[in-house]
Amino acid sequence: MLLEMKHLNIEFHNRTIPETVVHDLNLAIKEGEMIGIVGESGSGKTMTALAIAGLLPRHGMQKSGEIQFQNTDLLHCDRKKLRSIQGKDITMVFQEPMTSLNPVKKIGWQVEECLRVHTDLTKSERYQKAVTALADVELKEPEKIYHMYPHQLSGGMRQRVMIAAAIVSNPQLLIADEITTALDVTIQAQIVKLLKKINKLQNTAILFISHDLSLVGRICDRVIVMKDGYMVEEGPTDQIYLHAKEEYTKKLIAAIPKCEKIQL
Amino acid sequence: MKQFFKQNHKTDNSIRQMLRKRKSPMLITGIVMTSIVLLFVLIGLIVTPYDSEAMDATSKLAGVSWKHLMGCDNFGRDILSRVMKGSATTLFIAMGTVLIGIAFGIVIGAIAGYFGGLADEVLMRMNDAALAFPSILLALVLISLFGTGRYNIILALGIAFVPSFARIVRSEFIKQREMDYIRQAELIGVHPFRIMFVHMLPNSARVLVSSLLIGFNNAVLAEAGLSFLGIGVQPPDASLGRMLSEAQAYLFSRPGYALCVGGTLIFIVLGFSFLGEGISEDAKG
Ligand SMILES: Nc1ncnc2c1ncn2[C@@H]1O[C@H](COP(=O)(O)OP(=O)(O)O)[C@@H](O)[C@H]1O
Ligand SMILES: [Mg+2]
Repeated sequence: MLLEMKHLNIEFHNRTIPETVVHDLNLAIKEGEMIGIVGESGSGKTMTALAIAGLLPRHGMQKSGEIQFQNTDLLHCDRKKLRSIQGKDITMVFQEPMTSLNPVKKIGWQVEECLRVHTDLTKSERYQKAVTALADVELKEPEKIYHMYPHQLSGGMRQRVMIAAAIVSNPQLLIADEITTALDVTIQAQIVKLLKKINKLQNTAILFISHDLSLVGRICDRVIVMKDGYMVEEGPTDQIYLHAKEEYTKKLIAAIPKCEKIQL
Repeated sequence: MKQFFKQNHKTDNSIRQMLRKRKSPMLITGIVMTSIVLLFVLIGLIVTPYDSEAMDATSKLAGVSWKHLMGCDNFGRDILSRVMKGSATTLFIAMGTVLIGIAFGIVIGAIAGYFGGLADEVLMRMNDAALAFPSILLALVLISLFGTGRYNIILALGIAFVPSFARIVRSEFIKQREMDYIRQAELIGVHPFRIMFVHMLPNSARVLVSSLLIGFNNAVLAEAGLSFLGIGVQPPDASLGRMLSEAQAYLFSRPGYALCVGGTLIFIVLGFSFLGEGISEDAKG
């Protein structure tokens, strides 16, 4: 197992009543696996992802359980250890391509930051890797894009840049949190295909989070359905689609527009 | 390919792009006025019409003439020469003050704003306590501790200015802390100090520049105030505040003295105000 999450509980204490947003969640990810989490918004998908990435807020919340990754408990290890894993072995791409890039830094600088922090590569080696990553995410003229600022790129291109920044260090796990939600339908399909390609190419495990069951169905081997912080159902993608056990999952499947043919 | 590179002015934040954009009239006025001031002071550092400390008994309180463009003071010293030197002193003190204020303000504000929690509580409560005093009063107390003289004034005013800068930086950092690009930097394991000073600080450059200019103005006025009260720059050094307090005695007999010195002070402050306003206006539109 690449990652094993056991009994994860996340509870917010910043309001008058404590609010539990993730209840007793168990999750295991194998090497090179593509696994999906679906659920309506507010169901705790992002919180789960942030917990794995070690990005939960430091204040006003309580977390319990464990997240084992390479014999380290990500939930309880010290920050120094966490920083050595973050960004190198586990990377993440966020939902909003418009705010995920630092507006005052060049694209190349941002893609390279991870290498600057985690490796001793020289400037030219970093440049090579960054340009290769930009080419891997199918951006045309990567050398030119390397020298551009975020505001010069469209949303779809920015999201590709974010993916490039996330794969430049050859991570073992890539978390993609609703990365297609802010994009046009045609670009969504391209990005999803790109993830599949990266998964095959580098054998990177991908945790694909979405509220769109049809997208998840297109690329994931296994699906987890979440609702109100609980895991409702879990299983191989085709089994979930064809023989869903839970009423909630059936409703989600029924909500997929009919004209869309699901390719498993 | 071309049509994909769309221009989005809302999100561009860098100083470089700001300079490329068309400038507002206020900004242009500010730039012109500040350039005049800087030129005036620079020339004064190299050469003044007369020695600013040379007394000439024959021209005590002389009026405006071709020989003395702003007249002479009660010791017969050329006022124009003294205004040139005095402006330089005032600007030097203001600059030192703002540099101290902003350097410590950035460090304190960044730590409080980025880390939040206990660090924020402790630093900001201390900050609030310091802010509760008017900064000129705080400076007065500090000067009574350090003694007078230009470097002590810089230190005292600088310390008194730290809290307001810290506040501005803190709120800027709190705004950015939740941004996805900062979370991204945290995610890839960038050290917190590198996040604060390499990832976040450049994004606050605009706000910092305009608050720096406002702070600069306040420092000019604070120095003038302290010297006016006689606890700032000591004679025979010239500073605008010192000269104003000297001119006070001749307000009715020789109003030109006070007018020349006061006018220069107003010109300096107005120039930097326009510059600061112009920059923040440019940032909005
Ligand atoms: N800072 C916060 N304070 C309190 N509750 C929060 C905070 N952030 C998120 N939540 C709550 O956590 C729950 C799960 O949110 P999230 O994981 O973002 O959902 P999803 O990504 O599935 O849309 C929501 O009900 C939300 O209200
Ligand atoms: Mg979410």
